[in-house]
Amino acid sequence: MSEQEMQSIAALNYNDVNLTWLYRFFHRNHVAKFNKVFFPILKIVFIAFVFFVLYLPVILIAIQSVNNSADPASFGGLTLQWYTEIFKYRSLRSAILDTLLVAFLTLIISTVLGTLFAIGIHALDKKKRQKFIILNNIPLVNAEIVTGISLMLLFSLLLPIFPSVFGLPTMLIAHVFFTLPYVVLSVLPKLSELDANMYDAAVDLGDSPIKALSKVIVPAIWPGIIAGAMLAFTMSIDDFVISYYTTGNGFNNISIWIYSSIGKTSLKPAIYAYSTVVTLLASAFIVVAILWNNHKRKAGTKIEK
Amino acid sequence: MNKLKRFSLPYLILLLVFIAIPMITMIVLSFMTTEGMHFSNAVFTLANFSRLTEISVIVGLWNSLKYATIATLACLAIGYPLAYIFSRSKNKNGFLITLLLVLPMWSNILLRTNALGYFFSANNMITGLLSQIGINWSIDIKGTGLSVVIGLIMVYLPFMILPIYTVLDKIDTSLYDASSDLGGDPIRTFKRVTVPLSLKGVTTGIILVFLPCFSGFAVPRIMGNEKIVMLGTIIEDNFIYMDYNFGSLISMLLIFAIVIALFVISKVDKEGETLL
Repeated sequence: MSEQEMQSIAALNYNDVNLTWLYRFFHRNHVAKFNKVFFPILKIVFIAFVFFVLYLPVILIAIQSVNNSADPASFGGLTLQWYTEIFKYRSLRSAILDTLLVAFLTLIISTVLGTLFAIGIHALDKKKRQKFIILNNIPLVNAEIVTGISLMLLFSLLLPIFPSVFGLPTMLIAHVFFTLPYVVLSVLPKLSELDANMYDAAVDLGDSPIKALSKVIVPAIWPGIIAGAMLAFTMSIDDFVISYYTTGNGFNNISIWIYSSIGKTSLKPAIYAYSTVVTLLASAFIVVAILWNNHKRKAGTKIEK
Repeated sequence: MNKLKRFSLPYLILLLVFIAIPMITMIVLSFMTTEGMHFSNAVFTLANFSRLTEISVIVGLWNSLKYATIATLACLAIGYPLAYIFSRSKNKNGFLITLLLVLPMWSNILLRTNALGYFFSANNMITGLLSQIGINWSIDIKGTGLSVVIGLIMVYLPFMILPIYTVLDKIDTSLYDASSDLGGDPIRTFKRVTVPLSLKGVTTGIILVFLPCFSGFAVPRIMGNEKIVMLGTIIEDNFIYMDYNFGSLISMLLIFAIVIALFVISKVDKEGETLL
């Protein structure tokens, strides 16, 4: 307490000083209480609320998948019938298979090309690299509808030469095009962590450039490649707008199938079952990934000891 | 290392071809009347531009601006505190948090929106169940702007949280200690340390949420019961009814917004760290 403050308190009469002290006591306690008790509760409620909003549709889909009534407006008891019907309807079955086909091909092509492109971009000098990254970000920031229409116009220009180009080839090219930037962006940070001389050292020591890439660079940036591959796969499997504009000749993915069935009886409850199965598989994958992560961390601490 | 540069060349060509050719096609289309992509009866005209003042376009533009702004602000108001709590929690597990935010995306976006749409209509599974135990309760808002905004928030919230979490997580915790040692109370530390260092993530988050909300058509169609007009729905309608010319012109409007966004991102995040 400074001298000035002491003087000002001394100048107050007895009651006032007492009150100031009381006020300070309660105020301090109140703040401490708020920080220790109220704030953590508020935090948990807030987190729970956000995750509730994010997961509400997923939960509703899961309930729908065991709802005995085909009418989504009523609940008619439990059933597992829809799970047996996932592959029953031809249109839904082919949509599921088409989605998986495109997603796996996209995963392979985008990951390989994206990794090579990222290595190329990383080798550029800083100014050029930053310009290239802006270009790389265009498909990523671009509105899906604009990307979709752009690609459709581009492929339409090919129609006079290839009259039946719309379908698997166009959708695959489109998916590779819009997932490439994600792969590039997940590989680039790993490359900048890498010692710039590693590749040259490998080549100087007699490795062929291909061997230097596959034995030195790729293992070092592997986590980035995996992350990029997972992103490409997820993006492809979940895409609607771009697929919607770049497909044709009866080649449909799940999203297109759903969009054309929404609000109609052709939206079979089997789709809820399919969606729930996919979510459960993804959750199982997450659990395994977390366990593996913990296991690795424990193994790491053991070595440190 | 220098030889590796050549791997970037095919990508440069690919990007230029896939971005420039459609752009030129769109510009050409917007100055013409054609039948879809058939140029045989094409006439050069400015008629498409005069249609920009049509009431449906103005309403669509206004709705897009309004709903995208509200949804983006709501995502920021929810996403920033959440990302902050995650980044400051003691047992940090960024991997787990990311996976939990991404997991809902494994259910199809349209199916999720549709499920939420049922939940917001007068008669659904949940109200049915509740009425069986004697509670008559429903959120009957499907078809209103509010349901569109909630749908947009549900779909795009993770795209706000993730970039902000990425930058907050990178802040050196010793900076917080330094701030409090130098006499900064928590509020001042937040204002002078946390906020400036997280602006990059906030900018990316705003762009990643605003642009799809501004241009999307699936969520407004489903949540708005086909009644709410937005830019995306106008573009979709025009391409369905083979009016490629007007559709292209409206798409150019969107591209204008996207160019601004790209410019902002290229200023704040030169290496594209926060875009993932």
